[in-house]
Amino acid sequence: MNFSWRRAKSVAYKEYKHILRDPFTLAVTLILPMIFVGMFGFVIDLDYKHMRVAVRDNDQTSVSRRFLQEMASSGYFDLSPVHTPAAADRALEQNASPALLVIKRGFGRNIRAANPEKPAQVQLLADGTDNVQASIMGSYMQGVVQKANAVFMRDNPELAGGAEGAARLAGGQIRSRFLFNPELNSRWFIVPALSTIIIGFLAIVLTALTVAKEWENGSMELLLSTPVRPSEIVLGKLVPYFVLTFLDVLVVFVLAVYVFRIPFLGSFLFYMAACWVYITGALALGLVISVVTRQQQAAIQFAFAVGLLPSFIFSGFIFPIENMPAFFQYFTALFPQRWFLLISRTVFLSDAAPATLAAAFGAIGLFAAAMILLAVHKFKTDVEP
Amino acid sequence: MPALRADVRQVSKKMGRAQALRQVSAGFGAGQVHGIIGPNGAGKTTLIRVLAGLLQPDEGSVAYDENGQPLSAADVKRVTGYFPQEPSLYPDLTCREHLEFFRDLYDLPQAPFERRAEELLYATGMTPFTERPAGKLSGGMYKKLGLMCVLLNRPKLLLLDEPTIGVDPVSRQELWDLVYGFAGKEMTVIVSTSYMDEAGRCGQVHVLSGGRMLASGAPQEVMAHFGVTDFAEIFLKNE
Repeated sequence: MNFSWRRAKSVAYKEYKHILRDPFTLAVTLILPMIFVGMFGFVIDLDYKHMRVAVRDNDQTSVSRRFLQEMASSGYFDLSPVHTPAAADRALEQNASPALLVIKRGFGRNIRAANPEKPAQVQLLADGTDNVQASIMGSYMQGVVQKANAVFMRDNPELAGGAEGAARLAGGQIRSRFLFNPELNSRWFIVPALSTIIIGFLAIVLTALTVAKEWENGSMELLLSTPVRPSEIVLGKLVPYFVLTFLDVLVVFVLAVYVFRIPFLGSFLFYMAACWVYITGALALGLVISVVTRQQQAAIQFAFAVGLLPSFIFSGFIFPIENMPAFFQYFTALFPQRWFLLISRTVFLSDAAPATLAAAFGAIGLFAAAMILLAVHKFKTDVEP
Repeated sequence: MPALRADVRQVSKKMGRAQALRQVSAGFGAGQVHGIIGPNGAGKTTLIRVLAGLLQPDEGSVAYDENGQPLSAADVKRVTGYFPQEPSLYPDLTCREHLEFFRDLYDLPQAPFERRAEELLYATGMTPFTERPAGKLSGGMYKKLGLMCVLLNRPKLLLLDEPTIGVDPVSRQELWDLVYGFAGKEMTVIVSTSYMDEAGRCGQVHVLSGGRMLASGAPQEVMAHFGVTDFAEIFLKNE
């Protein structure tokens, strides 16, 4: 018996009807991506802004106020003054503020004196339990100090040794420029990666249930007694879910580009081709799980384990792969999520030629082909336990 | 298009820890209605699944022939219809959608399919229910739909695993009438049942108990062999 397109088509058509008649699955499939994008796009913001800082200004001069004004106008800090040392301690201890800024007495006088022996001092006490925020505060604070210095010098050049001193200071600064995402906007970084997570999870779960469901409701036994072949069932099961998952990709794409205004600079056609290959691989992996477990509950647990976890942990979505131990850097190469994430972020934010992503494209292609072959190979054509 | 003959020779099969079949031998002559009878756990389903090619015997073999010509497993699959005991249709698909799905699986051309579907719907009295989903059919109608699906392809060997279980007496009668209506020179029918009163309806009965084939033959011969007047007595005697 040869492969029959007609049989594959009839399995696909049947599956398409199941999808249409199961409003819950359909709703989850179409609404979940929107929830994901909304959650990651709006709620989770890795950019630290409006960090609360308690301020104890022991100087109370126009210079110290000017300094605080500079600090507040940066947008990174929300300042709340405290007036006693006890209140300052309380603010830190009770987590009312993750940091305390202390301006020492004589701050204004020292600035005016411009004596290198006696520099004006501010002290930032940051809560180290959130080490990321604490170190970010430290570096933002340096920026504020530099800017304040520049302002003081501009207002009164002779303060810091005249115009020469100001020029020397400005010349010594490091000027960084970030390519592709100049503002280091985390939303630009996260939203293009969401397709990876959504497909990596949804596609696997969707197909993981299909074959297992047929085994559980008995229809597989009837199906296996007909001339239908495993390759026809696998293809027939892939196609409708492919269309459904691709709709999800388009939803994420439209939200990314038109709602979040994330630039899309790469080749649209290349991105679509990569999506198709990646979706196929993820769906086929779901089928492999379904074919092997033959039980919906076990299938869904497997799907979570191999779909959701690697999508978040081994893809580079949260933890940069370059920072992983060498073993895990190689290990992540086994997961298509890693490669598709790279493609997705690159084509959104840079106009790099598709050829630079050939290895990543090859990896997801290899994975998809391997999974399809495995699903067909592992497909049982009998009811042996 | 003559019917198939199936011969089971010394077949043993273990399912998990249980020895489901123990050196079972039986001949299922072409064009007859065969009943595999036995209580629950006798090995009926296992034997039917072995005959359907869905289980491979641990020992022994199954051979099929058509007019004395042996057939390969792939050939047999193409001309065998099997309806399992467990519900196995799609609850959300209508009767018509089921028939169309099986039309494609069996690669039937449209015109002969339409004739055959009409014939089957008429014979089963299911014509008014073609647009009803399988999940909303009564027990008897559900079995009739299953029977129609497997009969679409005009199988030469029809395997029905306890088709009348959980079906009311009127529907049971209708199902048997249908089986006899379609059986004949072109189709061998093998039906398993645990209803002893149904054994008498079969042309040949094969008595299975504890995985062993106790006897095969015409119902009267088998009863005479055991010296009983009712099939149930065979199993009561054996306990």
